Amino acid sequence: MFETRSRRARIILQLVLTIAVIPFVIPLIAMLQTSFEGAGWGNYLAVVQVPGFPKFFVNTIIIAAASIVIVYLATLMAAFGFSKLRVRGKEVFFWLMMAALTLPEVVLIAPLYTTAVKLGLLGTYWSVILPIAALQIPFTVLIARGYVDGIPDAVFEAARIDGANTWRVFWSILVPLSRPIAVALMVLVLIYAWNSYLLPKVFLIDDGMGVVTQLPEFFRRQYNDDTPKILAASVITAIPTIIAYIALQRQFERGMAAGAIK
Amino acid sequence: MIDTDRIVGSDRTARPVQRDGRPQRRARLLPGGLRWILPGFAISVGLIYYSIVYSGYLSFFDWPGGRALMTPVGFQNYLTALQDPVLWTALRNTLIYFVVVFVVQVAGGTLFAAAMHSKVRLANLYKVLVVIPVVVAPATLAPAQIQVWQSDGTVNRILGFFGLSSLEQSWIGQSTTSLLVVTLVGCWGAIGYGFILIYAGMSQIDPELIEAGRLDGAGNFRVLFSVVLPSLRPIIVSLAILNFITALKLFDNPWLITQGGPAHSSEFLGTMIYGETASTDRNLGYASALSILVLVVAVAVSIFMQLRGRERVARARGRRKELADV
Repeated sequence: MFETRSRRARIILQLVLTIAVIPFVIPLIAMLQTSFEGAGWGNYLAVVQVPGFPKFFVNTIIIAAASIVIVYLATLMAAFGFSKLRVRGKEVFFWLMMAALTLPEVVLIAPLYTTAVKLGLLGTYWSVILPIAALQIPFTVLIARGYVDGIPDAVFEAARIDGANTWRVFWSILVPLSRPIAVALMVLVLIYAWNSYLLPKVFLIDDGMGVVTQLPEFFRRQYNDDTPKILAASVITAIPTIIAYIALQRQFERGMAAGAIK
Repeated sequence: MIDTDRIVGSDRTARPVQRDGRPQRRARLLPGGLRWILPGFAISVGLIYYSIVYSGYLSFFDWPGGRALMTPVGFQNYLTALQDPVLWTALRNTLIYFVVVFVVQVAGGTLFAAAMHSKVRLANLYKVLVVIPVVVAPATLAPAQIQVWQSDGTVNRILGFFGLSSLEQSWIGQSTTSLLVVTLVGCWGAIGYGFILIYAGMSQIDPELIEAGRLDGAGNFRVLFSVVLPSLRPIIVSLAILNFITALKLFDNPWLITQGGPAHSSEFLGTMIYGETASTDRNLGYASALSILVLVVAVAVSIFMQLRGRERVARARGRRKELADV
């Protein structure tokens, strides 16, 4: 974008960029530095050995995996229905779904908390998985429908001529062809579910049902404000997400950009 | 030639065709799709609309939850909310947070995106550093931010290093600076998001357009402001809406860093609703009334921004066309 013909311009640009990135590095350095204060690696060892530590990861993985499966199936089926099948009043259904697109999740907690108590769902995985899925589906359907609209109808017609029923067309044509966008969207769902904090905090109140975002609080109680250990726990929690981001960079950015760029 | 329509029409769900008009005919020949959209529709629309309606119902009661009696109070919860100074502080904070984070996000995102579309070394390293606060949970990074802003934290140490000890203060613990800390932490998390969208938007700009600008003698900044930014307008509108919704529901950072305090100075609607839902002296009716207010503001503002954005884009296009016609 910027043209840097001279060596000097190139150095200035690099310098500006480096200065601009300093505020981003400071908290990360503070985090790493403090996590080694006192016992060094011993802080990490102590954190990992706390009973119940792996359970936080297990809970998060269960919630994230279930959310992904539900959102994936519901999204592709809906995108198929909206884009390639006959539905009476299709646009009304679509519009109703899109109206929920920018819903702030806090408005759900009071009614859902009440409902979860009544149905005995409080403290179960479902009490978090269903709201996560409900909040993600309008966005993923919007993007997936746009993508499926771009697949020519002739492809689907050809499959029908060969005698494939709707179910078969879905699995053998739609699922493979929409894979690029589906992967991008599922990376977003993964990050959203992995990072969710408010929903688990409200609904998973039982012991042993904590998720990774609650680890710092857990260690604050456990160690009575032993900051290095709290930060060691934060570092351990952050690493899988950072690795996942670096590995899935392109899909992640594609999914995010899909929402804003048409 | 094979008549594909007739063969497709042999599907069991299709009915014989008698109506006129080709699109109508085609649509009728497609298999029914209602049950395909139903699962997603039931989960999202079902759960969300149910919550909103139930919220509206609850907002007319005084109710601590559980087996306690639900006392009907009419519009009292709404009146209490509108007279509650904490709500107005929260709304003011939401507005300040939105404006500051949005401006910093667009400026910072544009700077990083433009720099990384140029030839710089280690571009990917910079990118990862900027995007880390977007992908790692605020709840996970909040302890690091507390470490930075607390009384013996990094910021005060940096100030001391530059001989500015007089500026050292308890950033989190005083009501004059708590909102500043929450807002700056918000900017830290938002720039990476803006960067990703703006970067993607810049990749879609026709290079010839930029080349034409350069041939006309425009420098780097002229190109940025007159060619690049105008074509990013739809993205900036999206960012404005997303930021506003984020500010309206903000919970993680204020809760974990300042708990909305001291003295409600960094209270947001999210922390207010959470407090009313989860604290021991909760009133689920009041929490529901607040939720409905948030919902009304969210819907009204998204529609307003969407319309304004579209109007502006249309006007800009019209102007460009006029110029081209001349």
